[in-house]
Amino acid sequence: MLSFPEEVVLLLLDETDGDFVPLPEAVFAIVMSGAALMDLALRNRIDTDLEKMTVVDHTPLGDDILDDALAGLGTNGAKLDIVDALYDVASKAEDYRARALRRLITRGILKEENGRHLWVFRTRRYPVIDDSEQQEVRARLRRLLMSDDIPDPRDVVLVCLIDACALAGFVLSAAELDAASPRVEQLRKMDLIGQAVTKAASETEAIIKFAATTM
Amino acid sequence: MDIAQEREGDVVVVRLAGRLDSSAAPGAEEQLTAAVAGEAPRVAIDMSQLSYVSSAGLRVLLVAAKKVQQKKGKLALGGLADNVREVFAATGFDTIITIAADAAAAVAAVR
Repeated sequence: MLSFPEEVVLLLLDETDGDFVPLPEAVFAIVMSGAALMDLALRNRIDTDLEKMTVVDHTPLGDDILDDALAGLGTNGAKLDIVDALYDVASKAEDYRARALRRLITRGILKEENGRHLWVFRTRRYPVIDDSEQQEVRARLRRLLMSDDIPDPRDVVLVCLIDACALAGFVLSAAELDAASPRVEQLRKMDLIGQAVTKAASETEAIIKFAATTM
Repeated sequence: MDIAQEREGDVVVVRLAGRLDSSAAPGAEEQLTAAVAGEAPRVAIDMSQLSYVSSAGLRVLLVAAKKVQQKKGKLALGGLADNVREVFAATGFDTIITIAADAAAAVAAVR
C-alpha cells in the first residue's frame, strides 16, 4: 500500500503525458503536508480533537517522509495547533515530492524521462508504467462517492486530498460530480486534519486569485 | 477507559466509559470487533459515560459501523454528552452513524 504523500504525487501526475497537473505551489505544499499528517494519524503517531493535535507516539515508522514530518512535530505529548503544524510540515513539501517520486520510480510505478522544450529548456516527466494502484483507488473512490456506503478511514483521507487539489474529476464525470457534491462535502468533513487542509488550501487559492486580479 | 459488553435479547450492548482516544482505541477496537462478529449484528453503544472522543476514537467507531453495514446489520450510539455530540456534529459523523437520545433508544433503533 502506498503512503499518502506517494498517493498525492500519483494523483497530481497527468497519466497521459507524465507532467504534473497545474496546482499552485503553496496549495501543493499544504496538500502534501496534510497527506503526511493524516498518514501519521492513521498510523497512531498523532491524534487530534477539535482544539489541538497531540503527538502520541514518537517512534519512527521507517518511512523517510513520515519520520521527518513526525520528528518536526516534537516529542510524545507535544500539543500543537493543527493549522500551525500543517504549515510547518508544508515547508518541506518539495523535498517530500522529490522523495516520493524516487520511491515510486524505485517501485516501478513511474519512470523518469528527461527531455528539452524548444531545444533549450530542460524538462523532466514521469510517465506512469504501472497504473494498477491508480485504477484501484479511482474505482474504490468512485463507488464510495456514488453510494451511501460508510467509508473506511483511508478513503476519507483520499477524498480530502482529491478535494483539496480540485481533482474530484479524477474519479467522476462532470455530471456525476454535480450529483456527488454533497457526498464529497460530507466525507471531507470527517477528518479534522482534512478539514484544516481544505480550509488552508481554499484560503491560499483565494489569496493567489486576489493577487493575480489586483496586479 | 472501561468497556463492558452485555446482551439484551438479540442486541449486543457495548458500554464505553472514560476517554476514547489513541491510547484507548486499540482495546475499544478489539471489543467492538467481537461485538460485530456474526451475521447481521445488532449493536447499541452506550456512550453516556464517555467524557471525550478524539479522531482515533472516531475511527474505531467508523470501522465498526462499516463492518456492521457490510454484514447488513444495524449499529446505533446513544447517550452522547454535549462535548462528544459536538465532535460528531463538527465531523459529520452524526450523518453517517445513527445517534439516539440514550442507550435504551439506541437498543430500540437497532431492533
